[in-house]
Amino acid sequence: MSGEPQKSSTESLILLLTEHQERLFRYIFSLVPVEADAKDILQETSVALFRKFDQYDPARPFLPWAYRFAYLQVQKHRGKSSRSPLLFSEDVIDLLAAERERHEPVLEERLRLLDRCLEKLTPDDRALLTSRYARHESAESMMRRFSLSRRTLFRNLEGLRRRLHDCVTRHLETEGLA
Amino acid sequence: MNPGSLIHACLDGEISPEERERLESILRDDWEARRLYLELADLHARLLREPSVSTGRITSVAARRKTRTRPVVLAILAAAAAIVVSGAFWMSRPATEDESVSSGVAMLGETMDAVFSGDGLRAGDTLVPGRVNLESGLAQIEFFSGATLLAEGRAELEVISAWEVRCLSGRIRVRVPPAAKGFLVYSPDLKLEDLGTEFALNVRDGASDVHVFEGEVIAHTGVKAPESLTDGMSLAHGDLPVTPGSFLPLGDLAGQRLSRAESRYRDWQSWSQQVARDPGVIGYYPMERPGDDRWDRLVRNAAEPRVPSRAGGAVGVRWTEGRWPQKDALEFKRPGDRVRLNLEGTYQAITLACWVKVDSVDKKYNSLLLTDGYENGEPHWQIYEDGSLMFSIIYRPEGGERTGKWNQMYFSRPVFTAESLGRWHHLAVTYDGESGEVVQYFDGNEVGRGVSALHVPRREVVFGPCEIGNWGLPTEGHQFPVRNLNGAIDEFLIQGTACSPLEILAMYERGRPRP
Repeated sequence: MSGEPQKSSTESLILLLTEHQERLFRYIFSLVPVEADAKDILQETSVALFRKFDQYDPARPFLPWAYRFAYLQVQKHRGKSSRSPLLFSEDVIDLLAAERERHEPVLEERLRLLDRCLEKLTPDDRALLTSRYARHESAESMMRRFSLSRRTLFRNLEGLRRRLHDCVTRHLETEGLA
Repeated sequence: MNPGSLIHACLDGEISPEERERLESILRDDWEARRLYLELADLHARLLREPSVSTGRITSVAARRKTRTRPVVLAILAAAAAIVVSGAFWMSRPATEDESVSSGVAMLGETMDAVFSGDGLRAGDTLVPGRVNLESGLAQIEFFSGATLLAEGRAELEVISAWEVRCLSGRIRVRVPPAAKGFLVYSPDLKLEDLGTEFALNVRDGASDVHVFEGEVIAHTGVKAPESLTDGMSLAHGDLPVTPGSFLPLGDLAGQRLSRAESRYRDWQSWSQQVARDPGVIGYYPMERPGDDRWDRLVRNAAEPRVPSRAGGAVGVRWTEGRWPQKDALEFKRPGDRVRLNLEGTYQAITLACWVKVDSVDKKYNSLLLTDGYENGEPHWQIYEDGSLMFSIIYRPEGGERTGKWNQMYFSRPVFTAESLGRWHHLAVTYDGESGEVVQYFDGNEVGRGVSALHVPRREVVFGPCEIGNWGLPTEGHQFPVRNLNGAIDEFLIQGTACSPLEILAMYERGRPRP
């Protein structure tokens, strides 16, 4: 329709993945909340999408199609590491995947509002956020940096996320309907 | 530990097997806990991947250019390499770049059939120092110093700064207002220092001819002492005398533009008359200043047969020039500016389409068409702060909370960027109440498509009292009640069917300002 030159399918997939990989990552992470595992699964999902890309109908939205592959990779991963104490049981994963689909528009809206809350963080919270999320520091190094016990450190991280979550909820409520 | 703390412990990997079992059993039984978990997991994941504030509003031209081209190319190369090596690939997200300072020194003004080699320049583009090679046509360059240059035909130019330009070949004409006195024009064999004037320069085979129409120019040849040229004087490189007629005349650009515009305008008019007779049209506002309204506030609904109750009322807005000099448009600037409409009826599907020139996306939500308040079945069409198009429609269930999120929201990819502001663009959105599918268009191309998770088939769309360019009656206590558009609207179409992509493309093609 636009008269653009035909893109190769690899190129199209790369463009789609670049555009959607953060949402895909968040989907996977909500089912397997371990960062390294979620990254692996995203990679495996990318490969699966690459192999099956000829079956993709560009007239359909990309994400729902990609989520199906991600879901299969999550199940596969669950099967491989069935004894990990960090992973959810299959029935819980199913429940979460279904709930997430229903709740996704709200989740997206919440992330849009998160920026405003990040701007309002106190210097202490900002320092905590930087070392945990931007620098990916280990708990040990953070305990030294902030002179905190392990327990207090994680309680502070919980507090940080809780404040951000509450702030987003407040914005969502006052903003009402877009 | 309460459910919240269990979720946080789980996200931090600080959860014991017993605690995990407790968390699982809570997640099984309680959907609210599942939502809380999903929200916290999303927040945590987003921070892991992007720990700072993401670039919210529109980024500058330069920053956008960088993020658009380089990382994609890199990602493709990286991906191709990774596929070869391991059969797997992984792409890093393009890094968000700091806002960069604009390095523009001039602007490309009006053009006429202008063809440039290399980058496809368009009227209104900012020019940074570098070559501008005109292959054919007419182009006007407006330097930030105030000097204006007109080039015709094949011309090789080098924009050096707001105060200097080099002409390597071609016919140019330069006008320097008092404020830009001292503007320099280099040619292969000359340096011309302009002391506030209008002159023409022809450069062929490395040799220059100059003619001063008005004012004074100092010509430095490097061989002889600088020479002052005043009104009517010429400087020829050869022995042959030059006449003013051999230089680029003015006035062509304006005249030719007008006749070109006239033919585009007529083409649009004949299309517009067809649209007006389409039975599916709910309201069609071509935005032409009514000759017979002494109050100047009537926004005519051209749809046939006439429904007087669907005429629009202009409030605050001013009439201005539209896509062509012959065509009007309405300019929305102040918070009170709006066009009031009242559209009765219920619809199974709708199409909203308009021609808009957005000067700035300066509010969180920038109105295109919003119903008063926000009741069931009412659509809202706006531009979101990041430059994306946003369509939403609300269906609040019986007894649903007022503050709940019941509206189906659809965002396009961002379309208003530094490059697309200040120009006429065609926007359209279609909504099909049966499938729930929303398709959004920018200049005839699809820029978003989706079905909301909240969609239920066969719910009707209603308008009632509504407004173009503003939000008439914000819901009480709303945090973002001010949503007036900053720009101008030239033509607004509201249809009771979902147009096909081809129909939208035709709207764009028949109405675009330039061929």
